[in-house]
Amino acid sequence: MNPIITAFVNGIKKSGLELSNIVVVSDIPFEPEVIKEAGVDFFHVTRGRAIAFGTGLKLGNPDLKVVAFIGDLMTLGGNHLVHSGRRNMEMLVICVNNFIYKEIAGTPAPSVSPGFSAFSTFERPFNAPHLANSCGAVYTARWTALHTNELENSIANALDKRGFSVIEVLSPGPNFYKEINQVDSELLDFYYKNSVTKNNEDTRNVEITPEEKIVTGEFTDKEKSPFIDTYNAQLGKILGDKFIPLGGQSGRD
Amino acid sequence: MKANPRDVNTGTYYMDGDVAAGYGALAAGCRFIGGYPITPSTEAAETFARIAPQAGAVFIQMEDELGSIASVMGASWSGVKTMTITSGPGYSLMMEAIGLGAMIEAPFVILNIQRGGPSTGVPTKTGQADMMQARWGSHGDYEVIAIAPDSPQELFDYTIKAFNLSEKYRCPVMIMADECVGHMSEKVVVPPAEEIEIEPRRFYNGPKEKYLPFKPDKDLVPKMVKAGDGYNLYITGLVHDEKGYPIKNQLEKGKRQKLPTRRLVDKIRLNADKIIELTEEGMDDAEVVVVSYGISYRVAIRGIEIARGKGIKVGNLRLITVWPFPDKKISELASKVKAFVVPEINYGQIVFEVERCSHGQANVVLVPHGGAGVHNPEDIAEAIEYAVNEKKKIRKVVEWKTRLEKFVFEGGYKLNK
Repeated sequence: MNPIITAFVNGIKKSGLELSNIVVVSDIPFEPEVIKEAGVDFFHVTRGRAIAFGTGLKLGNPDLKVVAFIGDLMTLGGNHLVHSGRRNMEMLVICVNNFIYKEIAGTPAPSVSPGFSAFSTFERPFNAPHLANSCGAVYTARWTALHTNELENSIANALDKRGFSVIEVLSPGPNFYKEINQVDSELLDFYYKNSVTKNNEDTRNVEITPEEKIVTGEFTDKEKSPFIDTYNAQLGKILGDKFIPLGGQSGRD
Repeated sequence: MKANPRDVNTGTYYMDGDVAAGYGALAAGCRFIGGYPITPSTEAAETFARIAPQAGAVFIQMEDELGSIASVMGASWSGVKTMTITSGPGYSLMMEAIGLGAMIEAPFVILNIQRGGPSTGVPTKTGQADMMQARWGSHGDYEVIAIAPDSPQELFDYTIKAFNLSEKYRCPVMIMADECVGHMSEKVVVPPAEEIEIEPRRFYNGPKEKYLPFKPDKDLVPKMVKAGDGYNLYITGLVHDEKGYPIKNQLEKGKRQKLPTRRLVDKIRLNADKIIELTEEGMDDAEVVVVSYGISYRVAIRGIEIARGKGIKVGNLRLITVWPFPDKKISELASKVKAFVVPEINYGQIVFEVERCSHGQANVVLVPHGGAGVHNPEDIAEAIEYAVNEKKKIRKVVEWKTRLEKFVFEGGYKLNK
């Protein structure tokens, strides 16, 4: 987990944003102690609700830069992901994918590919960048936790985007597994060595399978009017001068 | 602090309760509603969505009720007053997050226009069967405040009060209205802004480095800041210390760590006398007291009139605040009166609270109703008559067999032995 937080903090620095302006929301399976030191505001909410909580933060104060760190992106939080993509809610989602629910004894998550575990992983997984892209995300990328430099740049790029951005980070959660079944940080290395970077690759081709190399890179990068702009434009058209637009206006108290 | 004139639509109107609640929310200073439409509460959300953009407030229709309530808590910590609007099924979906709201002490209001029955139930008809859910719906220990308005005017007034209470005590505040109140149209007077008292958020204004998000004031309620103001907040639903950091090992040697749950219940329990609002009438020589809330109170007025016509001395106690429950008041009355009669549109919820607080000193009679309608006042009158004439002390809640119950269930089911 720590390399991802480090990359996150460095990514913020590269983007030129103030740390104090960043609000991080995360859900239950993901509770990084290290974020205390990162200098950002941190909210740790009920499982799967980080994107929805972040939506409230953003609309309550449109000046905030909201980042959702999520483990349960595609299960409990699935609907929030889909609809935030649709409305292009301005937010960066970092999906930390370790294929399992780390804190619940390693049961498989819906992002795990068939074959990773002999008994339980026969279902077809979600392809996170493709799902996000299909829902309307303006930016998608995937890296492993060892792609520190690329991840930093990617986070900086995503923070610059105005819209819904999703970065999937593959991380095996080595701290937990070290003691239980001797899978230590070598697994992290395994992901890194078994990956191939293909920027701008069509997200349809980036599904993770046991047979092929994991495709990393920045996949989607497009421009689309974010929710608040669309909202302001639409209501401004209907209400004219009577409308008090969202964001940086005197009307809010 | 007075309401902002821009938020207040001063005038005299003929409107339904839901619409009045929408106006009330804006007048109270609400700046964000995340909601998902559900009968019979939708008109409140529609009203707010229509008037909010002219006041710099925003309504967003979220993808579901789980998202609505989570967004409301996010907006609350971003520094604005927030609410969500729902009815039974949506309310059930929100339960998990209510516990989170209590834990992270986000001030927010839930308007629940109750419908009849469990599950999908009777979407377009009334019910009062969510009262216990309001109190106990989320897991773990916490306290809430719940208010039961009985008219469109009160939905306006008490929506404002609900916001004030949520800002004051930083806990979930529920407006537990019902479909009858939500959909009835009556005269509603919206006063000028300068006559509307609103509670500002309790913002912290000391030195940044000394801020502790969960360090309580004298009244046990901590001060708040806004997310993104550089306080390096760490706010979690895990059991946490005053800094907000999770308490991992409370038995750590030599450390006395205070769990926040004690304060979460005490900040409401110890302030209960300040929070509770009741009306009482005809109590001085009452032999029987009718305890009711919401629409049932208005029906009970007629029942009491009929009973008084027969010379029975009946007191009328209305619970405006249902949670925290007025334990003291009921206990006090129990030593003076013969019995309580509790009409409610369910098969027994608040009646058991009345029984608990009467400590066996007075009989307790429930006048039940299965939902999708209101009581026949005659039933309430007959239950009062029974209660005043009953000589025995009955050590359980007596369920009065109403006309409807007799007609539909012919005296109730019997188990085959």
